Amino acid sequence: MIVLKELTKRYDRVLAVDRLSLRLEAGEIFGFIGPNGAGKTTTIRMLGGVLKPTAGAIEIGGVSLLERPVEAKRMIGFIPDRPYLYEKLTGMEFMTFTADLYGVDGDVEGKAMGLLERFDLLNRRHELIEAYSHGMRQRLIIAAALLHDPAAIVVDEPMVGLDPTAVKMVKDIFRDLARRGKTIFMSTHTLSVAEDICDRIGIIHGGSLIALGTVGDLRRSAGVGEGDLEEVFMRLTEEETR
Amino acid sequence: MRTLAILWRPRLLSFRNGRLSRTARDRRARLYLFSLVGFVFWLGTYGVFHRVLTYFQGVEGFGDILAARLLAMTIMTFFSLLVFSHVVTVLGKIYLSRDLDLVHSLPVPPGEVFLARWGESVVDGSWMVVLFGFPVFLAYGVIYKAQVSFYVVTLLAVAAMCLAASGIGALVVVALAVALPAGRIRNAVVVLGVLLLLVLVVVVRVLRPEQLVNPEYFLSVAFYLRSMEAVGSPFLPTTWVYDAVHGALTGDLGDALFNTALTGSLALSLAFVNFWVASVLYFPGFSRAQTTSLRLFAPLRRGEGRFPPIPFLPRPLRAFVVKEIRTFFRDSSQWSQIFLILGLVVIYLYNFSVLPLDKTPIRTVYLQNLFSFLNMGLAAFVTTAVAARFCFPAVSMEGTAFWIVRASPVSLEALLWIKFLVYLVPLLLLTEVLVVVTNILLGVTPFMMALSAGTILFMVPGVVAMAVGLGAAYPDFASENPAQSVTSFGGLLYMMLSAAFIALVAVVEAGPVYSLFMTTVRGLEPSWVEILGLTASLALVVVLCALAVVLPLRLGARRLEDV
Repeated sequence: MIVLKELTKRYDRVLAVDRLSLRLEAGEIFGFIGPNGAGKTTTIRMLGGVLKPTAGAIEIGGVSLLERPVEAKRMIGFIPDRPYLYEKLTGMEFMTFTADLYGVDGDVEGKAMGLLERFDLLNRRHELIEAYSHGMRQRLIIAAALLHDPAAIVVDEPMVGLDPTAVKMVKDIFRDLARRGKTIFMSTHTLSVAEDICDRIGIIHGGSLIALGTVGDLRRSAGVGEGDLEEVFMRLTEEETR
Repeated sequence: MRTLAILWRPRLLSFRNGRLSRTARDRRARLYLFSLVGFVFWLGTYGVFHRVLTYFQGVEGFGDILAARLLAMTIMTFFSLLVFSHVVTVLGKIYLSRDLDLVHSLPVPPGEVFLARWGESVVDGSWMVVLFGFPVFLAYGVIYKAQVSFYVVTLLAVAAMCLAASGIGALVVVALAVALPAGRIRNAVVVLGVLLLLVLVVVVRVLRPEQLVNPEYFLSVAFYLRSMEAVGSPFLPTTWVYDAVHGALTGDLGDALFNTALTGSLALSLAFVNFWVASVLYFPGFSRAQTTSLRLFAPLRRGEGRFPPIPFLPRPLRAFVVKEIRTFFRDSSQWSQIFLILGLVVIYLYNFSVLPLDKTPIRTVYLQNLFSFLNMGLAAFVTTAVAARFCFPAVSMEGTAFWIVRASPVSLEALLWIKFLVYLVPLLLLTEVLVVVTNILLGVTPFMMALSAGTILFMVPGVVAMAVGLGAAYPDFASENPAQSVTSFGGLLYMMLSAAFIALVAVVEAGPVYSLFMTTVRGLEPSWVEILGLTASLALVVVLCALAVVLPLRLGARRLEDV
């Protein structure tokens, strides 16, 4: 569903992502973890079509994101780490804006209301976004990203700013989406979340993928036995730093 | 003092580190360009004042009175500008800046945070008035062959005036912020400022100063000059600054120094009062500033976010059109600008209605149509200025939410076309109204009416597309006030290119139009050469206008891709 081929991003002299190659299947939840500045957000932004790669290719459902961006973006639900939105629109207006943008068919209002209710925003839907809290904005972005029923969800730090109830809700939603064949590419610092819901995990360090596999695979390659993902992460990134 | 130095350090370090930034080269280019433009403006100001003062010196009996009154008026204008500028700057610096959360979390008393911020705003709110005030005082110094003491006293008096104006501005803001959230004060101040400016301009225009050259009005001028000899109130700081500068100019150094000291003592007293008031009132005002500012239009509840239908547009385009219109009208800072434009339109049309065409020795019909032709260019320049304020920042206004555009299934070129069309409709309407109404007021021939309305129809899309395209090529998504992006390098480039485009269109049309017009005025039939010439020039204008639409939008989309 999502294919990255030799994906590279260079900012002047800094190599942020170095020839990253990955293949994600439909229905898979993929966790992308790494230390600060490792290249996670850069990768996510390239995958969301927000940043142009220096080299390499990205395919979403067999469509090249670089050659046919409009078609590919229709299949993506992008959720950035910082919830910047149009402050002068209301929550409901932002939902209908998104629906028009992605050409959502059928009962748009019904779908939007359903998602807003699910994310506990229904009662605040007529307020301007400028009056929303950080967590409410984050929930609104997630709701809007799901409105067009995307085949792939690209999400950067989904749990930042969410309360425990919302965190559980988002995890349940991601699991449900995966069951329905959607692919989720998620970067996170919350290792417990990655361990909890991801089918496979990739660890990026210094722009390169240093480990890839299930939590069990990673444990074995790090040689930590029954240790948790945090221990695996520390071991693998320390080895790379050395 | 140590705390103040620490609080100022980030700004100084940021300034120093500017050369290490990725955009350092652009910034240098911008600095050179702005320095050049500033220098030209500076020379212009000096030239105008030098010429006016030279003229005054030739007016026997009244010359020195006129020069002194001009000085008093200039100082009064500078002081008013300074107070207004400081109200806006202080509001931003002490209540609305993004970094204030961080600053207020530091273990520093609010009074000292205020002092540090106020210190910055004294510099930020004053430098432009000081810089462009200098050629005025220099012109006085040169004409009156002043001593070095004049320049020293003027410098001290102006510095004290800046500090006093800033003190008054800060005191007003801190007092108001206790009762109103800072966001609302800013809106109110901007609207009030614009309205005051409008009233001032309208009053000056309706007074018709051009009539002062008419001998019939001489009696009232003599009366006016007598009234001008009246001295300003001794309680006003502008009177002290005037007395200081004028005293230094005329050699009365004792009076000059006394008045400079008087202004300085006011400035220092205000600094003390401000510190004392801010220690008590600043933090409550800052807390109040965190609330959402008042909006002029409450969001619609009916139809669950649906906009009145525009079914002829594809849905993604409609989404952006609706978003553009909604965000524009809900941003109350845009309203003051719309009032300003409406006021300027009224003044523009009024000016044409009072042109004394019948009192000139040149044939009226020739003059009417010449003005009509020049008016096309003038109206297009007005459109450029309006487009610079509204269309140029259109892409930057996406701000930090630009990721939504990048992630959406709409190409950047399509987005620019949407923005272009959204702004084209009102601007085309505005310019056509300006041109058609002025043509009616001038009573031009049907040929000139058709030509100017048609040319504007093709030229305005070019002007708007250049604004949107260059605004996209030079975006500023990080700005706290994207509307100010027009003062950036890209904004200046747009103004220059748009002016060049308008001039080019006028040059291409001028020859053939003049030839054909003179033939018809003489009552002759136009030759086929003249008709062919005009057709070719109009065709060239259409091509130029089409290029002015397509090329900037394409350039803007390409540059945005790399952001």
